[in-house]
Amino acid sequence: MGLSSTRAAELLARDGPNALSPPKQTPEIIKFLKQMVGGFSILLWIGAFLCWIAYGIQYSNNMSSSLDSVYLGAVLVLVVILTGIFAYYQEAKSTNIMSSFSKMIPQQALVIRDSEKKILPAEQLVVGDIVEIKGGDQIPADIRVLSCQGCRVDNSSLTGESEPQSRSSEFTHENPLETKNICFYSTTCLEGTATGMVINTGDRTVIGHIASLASGVGNEKTPIAIEIEHFVHIVAGVAISIGVLFFIIAVSMKYHVLDSIIFLIGIIVANVPEGLLATVTVTLSLTAKRMAKKNCLVKNLEAVETLGSTSIICSDKTGTLTQNRMTVAHLWFDHQIFMADTSENQSNQVFDQSSGTWASLSKVITLCNRAEFKPGQESVPIMKKVVVGDASETALLKFSEVILGDVMQIRKRNRKVAEIPFNSTNKFQLSIHETEDPGDRRFLLVMKGAPERILERCSTIMVHGQEQPLDESAAQAFHTAYMELGGLGERVLGFCHLYLPADKFPETYVFDTDAMNFPTSNLCFVGLLSMIDPPRSTVPDAVTKCRGAGIKVIMVTGDHPITAKAIAKSVGIISANSETVEDIANRLNIAVEQVNKWDAKAAVVTGMELKDMSPDQLDEILATYSEIVFARTSPQQKLIIVEGCQRQDAVVAVTGDGVNDSPALKKADIGIAMGIAGSDAAKNAADMVLLDDNFASIVTGVEEGRLIFDNLKKTIAYTLTKNIAELCPFLIYIIVGLPLPIGTITILFIDLGTDIIPSIALAYEKAESDIMNRKPRHKKKDRLVNMPLAVYSYLHIGLMQALGAFLVYFTVYAQEGFLPSSLINLRVEWEKDDVNDLEDSYGQEWTRYQRQYLEWTGYTAFFVGIMVQQIADLIIRKTRRNSIFQQGLFRNKVIWVGIASQIIIALILCYGLGSVTALSFTTLRPQYWFVAVPHAILIWVYDEMRKLFIRLYPGSWWDKNMYY
Amino acid sequence: MRRQLRSRRAPAFPYGYRHRLDDQDEVNQNYLADEEEEAEEEAQVMVVPNLVEEDEEEKEEEKEEKKEEEESQDQPAGNAWWWKLKIMSEYLWDPERRMFLARTGQSWSLILVIYFFFYASLAAVITLCMYTLFLTISPYMPTFTERMKPPGVMIRPFAHSLNFNFNVSEPDTWQHYVISLNGFLQGYNDSLQEEMNVDCPPGQYFIQDGDEDEDKKACQFKRSFLKNCSGLEDPTFGYSTGQPCILLKMNRIVGFRPELGDPVKVSCKVQRGDENDIRSINYYPESASFDLRYYPYYGKLTHVNYTSPLVAMHFTDVVKNQAVPVQCQLKGRGNINDVINDRFMGRVIFTLNIET
Repeated sequence: MGLSSTRAAELLARDGPNALSPPKQTPEIIKFLKQMVGGFSILLWIGAFLCWIAYGIQYSNNMSSSLDSVYLGAVLVLVVILTGIFAYYQEAKSTNIMSSFSKMIPQQALVIRDSEKKILPAEQLVVGDIVEIKGGDQIPADIRVLSCQGCRVDNSSLTGESEPQSRSSEFTHENPLETKNICFYSTTCLEGTATGMVINTGDRTVIGHIASLASGVGNEKTPIAIEIEHFVHIVAGVAISIGVLFFIIAVSMKYHVLDSIIFLIGIIVANVPEGLLATVTVTLSLTAKRMAKKNCLVKNLEAVETLGSTSIICSDKTGTLTQNRMTVAHLWFDHQIFMADTSENQSNQVFDQSSGTWASLSKVITLCNRAEFKPGQESVPIMKKVVVGDASETALLKFSEVILGDVMQIRKRNRKVAEIPFNSTNKFQLSIHETEDPGDRRFLLVMKGAPERILERCSTIMVHGQEQPLDESAAQAFHTAYMELGGLGERVLGFCHLYLPADKFPETYVFDTDAMNFPTSNLCFVGLLSMIDPPRSTVPDAVTKCRGAGIKVIMVTGDHPITAKAIAKSVGIISANSETVEDIANRLNIAVEQVNKWDAKAAVVTGMELKDMSPDQLDEILATYSEIVFARTSPQQKLIIVEGCQRQDAVVAVTGDGVNDSPALKKADIGIAMGIAGSDAAKNAADMVLLDDNFASIVTGVEEGRLIFDNLKKTIAYTLTKNIAELCPFLIYIIVGLPLPIGTITILFIDLGTDIIPSIALAYEKAESDIMNRKPRHKKKDRLVNMPLAVYSYLHIGLMQALGAFLVYFTVYAQEGFLPSSLINLRVEWEKDDVNDLEDSYGQEWTRYQRQYLEWTGYTAFFVGIMVQQIADLIIRKTRRNSIFQQGLFRNKVIWVGIASQIIIALILCYGLGSVTALSFTTLRPQYWFVAVPHAILIWVYDEMRKLFIRLYPGSWWDKNMYY
Repeated sequence: MRRQLRSRRAPAFPYGYRHRLDDQDEVNQNYLADEEEEAEEEAQVMVVPNLVEEDEEEKEEEKEEKKEEEESQDQPAGNAWWWKLKIMSEYLWDPERRMFLARTGQSWSLILVIYFFFYASLAAVITLCMYTLFLTISPYMPTFTERMKPPGVMIRPFAHSLNFNFNVSEPDTWQHYVISLNGFLQGYNDSLQEEMNVDCPPGQYFIQDGDEDEDKKACQFKRSFLKNCSGLEDPTFGYSTGQPCILLKMNRIVGFRPELGDPVKVSCKVQRGDENDIRSINYYPESASFDLRYYPYYGKLTHVNYTSPLVAMHFTDVVKNQAVPVQCQLKGRGNINDVINDRFMGRVIFTLNIET
């Protein structure tokens, strides 16, 4: 009967739609405001307000005071807002990539309402609705089964059990997860049909609870966010302390407080790399784009680097490490085990196909199989064709199709006359065919099934095409092979056949499968065939790479320990020569307890064992063994494992696809969801989505992440260097009293103009050496900005730059008439508006405006000086250890784009805007552009020397203090 | 292997601080881990979550976040101070800490020596550069002078503002002008000029060929040229009578010659307002111009006794008791006197407010 539409509408109004509420989003405005006050912005805000306060004081003293500081404040605010908007835009862009994912096809449900069957969107389901489901459907809500026929569901996304679960209307267990009469929202019905009543909808479903649990797990700061914060603190600390120090010095040197405030602003502006955070964002998003091309879709920009510092990867098995499809791995016939090609295209089947036994076996494989290709896929490669049938049969079908060619034709030629499908009591499948040989009137009976059951029914065995009696030794050989294949974690099937004698079974004989009017014993055993979900061919390499990169790969799977271990061995998670405690016990023939567990490198831990472990014990296991496989684990236990790894101070990457993985994905430093197999909840909780579900993509991600960390170091070193060159003028201006060498606005033009593109260009730099050969960085020791980096940038290159820029400045002043000696302590006279006949070194007299113009020329000269040396700085920052010539000067083309942009922007500022005095740029004589060039070359030479000594004396004092 | 060594190496921070930081982080992490376990337990039981409890948890989280924020606000200050101290101490003071940190037994003095040599060589480089710079610069003739042309103009007496406010009957209000003018004109005393400088023919440039480094002779500009404004006859320069003298001089520029032998003239008028506010001005010398013989100027190194020529403006009849803006301009070919940005190029603007 079902609910009436009106009642349903009432309930819908009460409970809301049957859909998971999306995770709580931070309001956009909050995100935006965060960008406005994050990082250095707060310093710049302070600077801006100081400007306005300074103007306020000036204004109250003198109505006609200049608006310069108001403009400067406005410019600072503008800078903050622009960089904020930019960062926000970048963030938003990367979020948008993700949101395209969550667009789902609206789900339909067959509901009985008003005594009519209706198809409604699943969202409109309410508690009490009667729904009908059939094989292939997704369960539209939590439902209690009222009646069903052979209904089996796949609960793997919820519980991690990969075996289909049968459902019935009986109540079998207290725990809703265990009882057989409940189907859960978002799981799939594999076969059969069922009618059920909706008992929970939307967020109140079991899945809903888990999803909300996942969103409750707090997002921790990413390692790169911590690093950047650390860096911001350093720079802000330097800025504020130098600012305050010189404020005090200025005040005690009898400067006006007002002037001192202006100095303070200048020092802050000079010290803060305004453009850097925007650059970092761009760099990260560039890498994110690059990774997206390699099938790693990054949801959270900062996660780009997290993958690089990952030290433990907890990986799923199915689909991630393996191909997620059953494939024939081994064959046994003629008392021999043959290996089949399990690679993705299986094109290279090398086993001996000349034996007569193979001919028979292939016939059994082909004929005793109900799986079929879906029609209309002629042009699709065999391996990609869609098959109707279960996993094993699909594997067999594809296997025979690859080797024998058109299976459908073979089946047509050997017409099927009778068939008994597989069922769990018989544990075999049987079919009877006419043969394709027109001279042979006999029927062929083929059978496959559980090997021991098949063997029971056989009295002979085929060897080299000849039937032989199945004696003791042959049975022994069978058992050895069966055990061996089973030990590899493979699913083994036995095959046998029998030619029915033509006299007893004439062509007209009617086979009755219920009465079994044909022999099912004394058959001829043909062979064994084993199947496995084989590892992806790229995975072993990737695992080796991880190992080389110092990353521990832990397999966490719901699968059987033996299978898990076999796969772990074949992909190298457990390396060839390492043993588990059990292996050692077996080898030495002693009890497991007697084995010294330090001898074992590997461990296979099952979910059952894990359940009884204390966190300490888990920690011990994680610390003791370098190769660990967790088998038969529930998704909940994944969370425990992740936490255990994090207690080891590791940066943990976790892969997952099920809904139940989402808390673990969230908890992990970087959660990686599967793009194909992954559920939306998992994708929501993850920081990264693997579009091809391939473990190898994670490794490329790691590589990119490490590269970006290195390159960010270079970018920051590049950016920090010029801060000293920008800061020194202010300090010297205050202490020595030179006319101001560089203005605040000019500094902003360097930070946000000429330096931006070059610092982004460093993101394109290739790795210096194999970054996958070193250990993951220690998140507390290997900082992004470390002491040598800061010292080298500030006190070495920075100072050299400052000297070079001062040289240009002095050259300009000297050539205009003010020799350096005359500049000392000139500041006060220089800046007096009523002194219009200030004498220079030649006795010439200068008006205030002429001096002002000269000062601007000085700014421009200083600017050009820094810019020229920043080109050298850019080139030296390409490498930290190798010589530039080893790295190749022209390999990174973007660097040259950066250099060109630097020069072009400077040219425009100098000659394009020369008349705009508000920007305080003047038309500089061309020769001044070359004054700092020797200094630039000197910087290059000095850095080459530094790198040379680092390479020559690794581990020396020089290496320790000069390598950043 | 090298990597491993590196990671075990001294971190970028003083030891005490780093440990403190690490401990904090650990505490935080443990806290979070506990919280996670609680959440995990809930997940396993799969009971319908108690909303109130969750809220409480959220609140707790918020509190924790606040705490963390406070901590992180504390951190940067401490952080920066330490860091800065290290930077400074690297080559200034506090060697002990550095010794403590040095793990390879290399000492503070090594750093000192290395930095000494580094900075010494930097100093050598900059000295070399400056030396080269001086090689390219003549001490007699500035490399470029275009930026200064046309020359600026300045007046004497020099007051901090260009408003001449004084009351004729109150000597205190104008005495400082007189003192200033007297002081300024000391260098123009006739006796001094006759002793030091030569009397050169007027109306033509006083060009002195010869080597750059040869001392140049200077033309006399006697105080007496200024007649009534010389302060010789009237020691108050007219201020006591409400007829103030203001001296105008053109800024010196090495090598400057008024264009095409046309001497620069001075002309003053009311800048804004009634033209008749100034009824008469006497100029001294009477030509109201800077004679060509005072040009060119050869620079202070060789042209030691050069005295800038002056033009005195004697405002003999100016409207009293009101501010009169006056603009004096240089007139002559090639002279620009209307640049908006520079109000002292080729002109000077001042106000006279003479009270009686």
